[in-house]
Amino acid sequence: MSKRNLVAAAIVSLTFGSRAQAQGAISLEGLGYPTGQFSARAEGTGGGVADFDALSLVSPAAVAGVGSPALFFQYSPEFRRVTTSSGSSKTTTARFPLVAGILPMGQDWTLGLSSSTFLDRSQETSLQRTQVVGTTTDTVTLTERNKVLGAINDVRLAVAWSTNPALRIGVGGHIITGSNRITFSQLFPDSAKYISSSQNGRISYAGFAASLGIEFHPSRTIGFAVSGRKGGDLRAESGDTAIGSARIPDHYSGSVTYEGIPGAVISARVAHDAWSSLTKLSSSGIQAFDGWDTGLGVEASGPRIMTRIITVRAGARFRTLPFGYPAPCSLPVVPGATCTNPEKVSETSFAAGLGVPLTRERASLDLSFQRASRSAADVKERGFILSFGLRVSP
Amino acid sequence: MKSSSLLPRLLLIAALFFSISSCSENLDSSGACPLLCPPVGGDVQNTTIDAIVVDTTVQSLSGLGTEPVLLLANRGDTLDTRVVVRFDSLPQTFLPAGDTTQAIVQVDSAYLALMIDTLSIKGEAPVTIEAYDVDTTANDTSTAAVLALFRPDRFISSQTFARADLTDTLKYFISNDVVLSKIQNKLPLRIGLRATGTESSQIRISSTESGFPPLMHFRATPDTTTKPLTVTLLSKTPVGQAIAAANLSDYTVIAKAPPQASPTILAVGGLPPRRVYFRFDIPAKIIDSSTVVRATLLLNQIQNSSLDPTDTVRVLPQVVLAGRVVTDPQKAAQIIANISADTLTLRPGDAGLVNVELARAVTLWHLQKPDTLPRAIVLKPVIEGGTPLEIRFSSSEDVVAALRPRLRISYTRQVPLGLP
Repeated sequence: MSKRNLVAAAIVSLTFGSRAQAQGAISLEGLGYPTGQFSARAEGTGGGVADFDALSLVSPAAVAGVGSPALFFQYSPEFRRVTTSSGSSKTTTARFPLVAGILPMGQDWTLGLSSSTFLDRSQETSLQRTQVVGTTTDTVTLTERNKVLGAINDVRLAVAWSTNPALRIGVGGHIITGSNRITFSQLFPDSAKYISSSQNGRISYAGFAASLGIEFHPSRTIGFAVSGRKGGDLRAESGDTAIGSARIPDHYSGSVTYEGIPGAVISARVAHDAWSSLTKLSSSGIQAFDGWDTGLGVEASGPRIMTRIITVRAGARFRTLPFGYPAPCSLPVVPGATCTNPEKVSETSFAAGLGVPLTRERASLDLSFQRASRSAADVKERGFILSFGLRVSP
Repeated sequence: MKSSSLLPRLLLIAALFFSISSCSENLDSSGACPLLCPPVGGDVQNTTIDAIVVDTTVQSLSGLGTEPVLLLANRGDTLDTRVVVRFDSLPQTFLPAGDTTQAIVQVDSAYLALMIDTLSIKGEAPVTIEAYDVDTTANDTSTAAVLALFRPDRFISSQTFARADLTDTLKYFISNDVVLSKIQNKLPLRIGLRATGTESSQIRISSTESGFPPLMHFRATPDTTTKPLTVTLLSKTPVGQAIAAANLSDYTVIAKAPPQASPTILAVGGLPPRRVYFRFDIPAKIIDSSTVVRATLLLNQIQNSSLDPTDTVRVLPQVVLAGRVVTDPQKAAQIIANISADTLTLRPGDAGLVNVELARAVTLWHLQKPDTLPRAIVLKPVIEGGTPLEIRFSSSEDVVAALRPRLRISYTRQVPLGLP
C-alpha cells in the first residue's frame, strides 16, 4: 500500500471513530473466530494429525498422501452458549468451513485446491436502551440490531512432491479473500413519530500468502512434519475505498506421529500464529495476540461392524484465539468511559470422532464432536461443534 | 438389502439428519448484551431550529362541490350554509306493473333521501328544512346568484323535524306538483335546502364524494304494486367540464361564515376551507449526513372561540409533492400526499404548544433532493368544507419569537459500518 493510501486509511479510521463492534461472544471479537482449517478427521484428534492430513488446509505436503483423487466437503455447525454477569445466550452457527479437491498427477506429484474459513465473523446482537428523543420527558426504547454475515476465507492451491512414503514436500499459494456484510438497524416502536433506520455496509478482503510443508517418516512407526505460511498484505476495502491494511499472520507448526502400537496412531502438534499482525486491521484498536495452538490425539482402528472397520478418534487441544477481550475504548474516547487492557481469550477443546468407510472404500464419512471452553475476564463461553466430512473418490 | 451395508447407510442417514436439523441458524446472542455488545449508535442529539422559510395560509382549491359532506347550518349571525342538489335529468316514462311503458302524468310521494351524520348534529330544537327551486342560467359557481334564489316565489316545500326524527336516513318530502312540472316541461330540478327554526341547528349530509349521495324517489302511479322511481343526482353544467359538473351535482353554499383569521395568523379549516403551507430549510448536514430519528414541527395554537370552541377538528399533515417549478404556495399546497396515519385532534378553543410529527416526511426528503421534492408540508383538516371550525396558529410573523413555528430535529450520527 502506498503512503498516500495508508494516510487515507488512517484518516478514515479516525473519522469513523465509533464502529459497529457488538460481537455478542468473546470468540467473535475482532475479525472473528478462526475455525482452524482442519478436516473432521483432524478435529477428532485435537488437531494432532492436521499436518499429515491431506484434507486439512494446513501443510501443503500432506496432499501427497491422499492416495486417490478425492473430493471433500465439510459441514460444522456450532452450538454456543455465552455466559456473562448480565445474562447468557445460546446460538447456532452453521458453517461450511472446508471444501477440497485433490488430484494425484502421475507417480510423484499431487495437486490440491482447497478453500476453508479463515476467520468467521457471523453474529447478530440486539440491544435495547432508553433514549431521550425530543424534550427531556420524551423517552423511548430504542432497539439497536447489529448483524454481520460473512468470513475471510483461505483459498489454497497446493502442489506436493513425493517419490517415496518417507518424504513429502509441498508448496502452496494462498488467496485470502472474503467479505463481511454488516447491517445496523435502529428501531423505534412508533413509526408515526419516530424514524427507524437501517444501514448496510460491506467490507471485502484480499491478500496473498505462501506456504511450505515437509513431511518425513524415518521409519514406519514415527513421522515428523513441519509447515509454515508466510503472509503477505491483507487489504480491506469498503466499495472502492481502502479502509485498512495488515499482514496476514505468519503460521508455523510442527507435528509428530507415532504408529508403534498396531492399529493406532498417536499424534501431537504445536503451532504458532502471529495473529498480532492483524491488530492494524481494526479501527477501534482491538488488539490481536500471537498465540500457540497445541493438540494431542489418538486415532485407532475400532470395532469391525458389518465387515467395515470403524476408526475412532479422540484428542484435546489448547489454543489462544486471535483477538483480546474486552476491546479497548473506541475512538474517540468517550469522557468518563472505563478502559481496560484487553485480555487474551483462550480455548480448550476436547474432541472425539469416528471414521466410517462407505461404498467399497470409494467414500468415507468422518464425524467429530468438539466441546470447546473459552474464557476471558468474567465471560465464559461453551461451544459444541459437530463436524460432518464427506470424502468421495470419483 | 445386505446387512453389511446397513450400518454405513444408517450412519449416513443419521449424519444427514443432524446436518439438516442444525441448518437453521440462530446468530442472535443478545442475551450477552450489554456486556458483549455495547451501544453503537450513540446518543440522540436534539436540536430546535428556525427552519421555516415560508408559512402561509392558502385556500383549498379542490373546488366547489368536492366536499365529502354537505353542511346545512343555521347558526344565527355566525353561520348560515345551504345545500344544493341537482337532478338535471328526470325520467319521462315509467313501467307500470303488468303493463307497458307509459308517460309520467302524475307524481306521488316525492321525497329526497338524505344520509345524515347523526353524531355531528347541532341543536336540540326542531329544525325546519325549506326547499327552493334554485335552477338558474347564471354562472354555476356564483354563490350570490344561488343565494338570491332562496326567495318566496321559488319556494317548493317545507318540512319540520324534531330532533328525534333526524335519523340516519332522512326522508324529506317535496312538492309533487313541482316535480311533475319539471318532468312535463323537461326542465332540470335543482333544489336548494335551507335550515330554519327558532334555535340554531347544524346537520351534515353525505355527498356524492362520500359514496352516499342524496337521491330522489317518487311514484308515477298510486298503484303500490308498481315500484317507485329513483332519480340520481346529475348536473349537466358547466357544459364540457365533466369533472366540475359531477362535483356540482351536490354542494354547499356558504351564506354566512365566521370571520376568518387575520393574514398574519395561520389557519386550518373553516369555511371556505383553508390550509397552511410550510416550507423548510433544513441544513443538508442533518438530512444527508445524519440519521434523523424524529422531526417535530412546533406550533403555538391560538385560541379561537368564535364557534364551538370545544369541538374537535382532525388535522392531517401532508407532504408537498410540487417540484421547484411550482413557486406559488397556493398551487403547491394542492399537490400533496398523505404521510401520516395519525391525525392531530385539536380544539379551536385551546391554546399552547402543538407538536406535528414529520417523521415520514423526513424519510421522503432523505431520499429526494430539494429540487425534486421541496421540504414542504401542508396542514389540512381531514374533512375539508365539512366543518366551520378553524384552528389557528402563530406564524413566523408573530412579534413574540418564541411563539413562531420551529422545527425540532432529533438525530444520531451515522454509524460507519467498517472494520471492528
